[in-house]
Amino acid sequence: MAIIDYREKRFLVIDDQPMARESLRAIAQTAGAFAVEFAPGYQDAIFKIRNNTPDIILCDYMLGNGRSGQQLLEELRRFNLLPDETIFMMVTGEQSYEQVVAAVELVPDDYIIKPFSPDKLILRLDRVAAKKQFFAGFYREKRKQEYAKALAILASIKDSEAGRAYRFESLRQEAEVHLASGDAEKAEIAYRGILERYEFPWARAGVAKSLHHQNRLTEAREEIEKVVAGTPHYFDAADLKANICMAQGEHAEAQKVLDEVAKKTPRNYLRKRLLAEAAELNGDTAAAQAAMADVVSNDTMPGAVSTEDQLALARTHVGAGDLISAEKVLLLMRESEVMNLDLAQQASFSALLAVASAAKGKPKFAGLRPALLASPLPTVSRVDVLRGALAVDDRELADSQARQLMSGEDAKKVFGAVRKLYALQGREPDFREIQRQVALQRIHHDEEPEPGG
Amino acid sequence: MHRLLDVLASGVHDAKNELFFAESQIAVAETTYGIDLSEARYAIEAASGRLSRTLSAYHLLRKDASLSIVPSVIDDLCSEIALDQKKHLANAGIALEVDCSVRDEWPIDRDLITDLLNNAVQNAGRHARSKVRLKAWNDEATLFFRVEDDGPGFAESSAGIKRGTGLIVAERIASLHTRAGRHGSLHLANGGELGGGFFEMHLP
Repeated sequence: MAIIDYREKRFLVIDDQPMARESLRAIAQTAGAFAVEFAPGYQDAIFKIRNNTPDIILCDYMLGNGRSGQQLLEELRRFNLLPDETIFMMVTGEQSYEQVVAAVELVPDDYIIKPFSPDKLILRLDRVAAKKQFFAGFYREKRKQEYAKALAILASIKDSEAGRAYRFESLRQEAEVHLASGDAEKAEIAYRGILERYEFPWARAGVAKSLHHQNRLTEAREEIEKVVAGTPHYFDAADLKANICMAQGEHAEAQKVLDEVAKKTPRNYLRKRLLAEAAELNGDTAAAQAAMADVVSNDTMPGAVSTEDQLALARTHVGAGDLISAEKVLLLMRESEVMNLDLAQQASFSALLAVASAAKGKPKFAGLRPALLASPLPTVSRVDVLRGALAVDDRELADSQARQLMSGEDAKKVFGAVRKLYALQGREPDFREIQRQVALQRIHHDEEPEPGG
Repeated sequence: MHRLLDVLASGVHDAKNELFFAESQIAVAETTYGIDLSEARYAIEAASGRLSRTLSAYHLLRKDASLSIVPSVIDDLCSEIALDQKKHLANAGIALEVDCSVRDEWPIDRDLITDLLNNAVQNAGRHARSKVRLKAWNDEATLFFRVEDDGPGFAESSAGIKRGTGLIVAERIASLHTRAGRHGSLHLANGGELGGGFFEMHLP
């Protein structure tokens, strides 16, 4: 006897094969479903889910056109289109999807292998519903980013009798919440607790991610290498490895890793963005340009291509010396968009425009100067400002940015890029002097007694 | 070698899609006409299981075979096997008894173990007189499954119980389950609680 009344639930069947769609519809209707909608492909599925979220999604793993159900699931989570209550069930014809589920962090509520009977579908859906019910309070707080409350709820339920069936899920959720709330040390402890019970690749990757957040890069790299070597089809692990490599300043390795996985997942545009960043840092400006151009023209989710992406595209053009294209990208941004940029984006916009077209960019860049000297900026914007300042020969602004970058957490990541920018202006000795000052300052700082100690 | 595996996998995938279509049509016919065609559906699922098993045998007997370990609720797994087999066995006059006392999630290859146990229950059903039992229990370090029946037991020679390909694959699946240096194992013997042969799997 089903614990859910499936007659009241709206089903969405996503499959590119008409016969397979028909089979899924027939099974869902025999299981009691009254309302079953179809989506033959990726875009159509997103449109339907966005407009009228179904209660239960039955999605085939292979969607045609180089898309997979897993990618759809990741995209839906990325755009927050899947409410906690919606059940996402992956349907697959072969066992190979299990390999994906065993490795990755982002998994569907469950997956089911064809062929299956209506009874089996009900059994699986009932179980998912029971699990969702068990974690309902926790999910609610987690979604609201009330992390302390979420952890308190988790602590109160995880050791209950009902919680025994979900003990790995509880540990995993605990680790994820620690990481999301910025407590990377506790996240590391939680992931290691999982590994003591079983060597799951996703938990090992969790340790690597927690170490990365603590800026313990060598250890993070060691951990993620183990995961990548053991589970080559775990592409998120490759992304994480690339991020760690970049933080270590090993941009060639980062680009190589991303290049390999991007070939296997040609329509994953988050990965393409990362590839563009790695290529840019690695000085492979042509690859960076190509990757960002692909993102901007092909990431077709509404709202997917952001201001940051336009700026990134302009940045790759500037890096490649293609100033006309850079100017075009920047000037094509809508005025309303430019008006609403935050300081970091304004900094990037005006700096990149100052490089691309001094006449059009310089006044705005000069107007921002006091704010740029005084305000904290993210690394990527600071590098843009440095580039702009060097281009307009504002040495004070350039050197201040370089000092901030070299004494910040991303120093290793951007060291090569900053040195190259100084070299292009024939100012390498000045850069070495800045490095020396930063090093001296660090020694001085380290020698100061701890406050109150 | 991998190329051949891909070709086989793609063929199995297509065949299973066709079988799924057939099963869905039968399910619709059952509802529409109020008839029971569960044996036809069972045959379809058994055929599909056989295809998958052939493919995974090919994959598992290679040197670089690996499992996909996911945390699994053992009680759910047992009820799924009951759902797959109970009615079919009942039609042959055999009762399937399921007794699971495992309450915790356990890291196993859910699909392969389910398939393996389904196969073990099917085999037991072929030899049983009236009863098959699937039992699951655990201690701190090990998960145990036992399938037994009240039939005449395994044929034994001086070399012990004869093991066919199915059992060799099952043994491989068990031993690929490792945890803290321990491997899973398979045990066959006669003289079980129901009088016939029994099949036991120990997973770390």
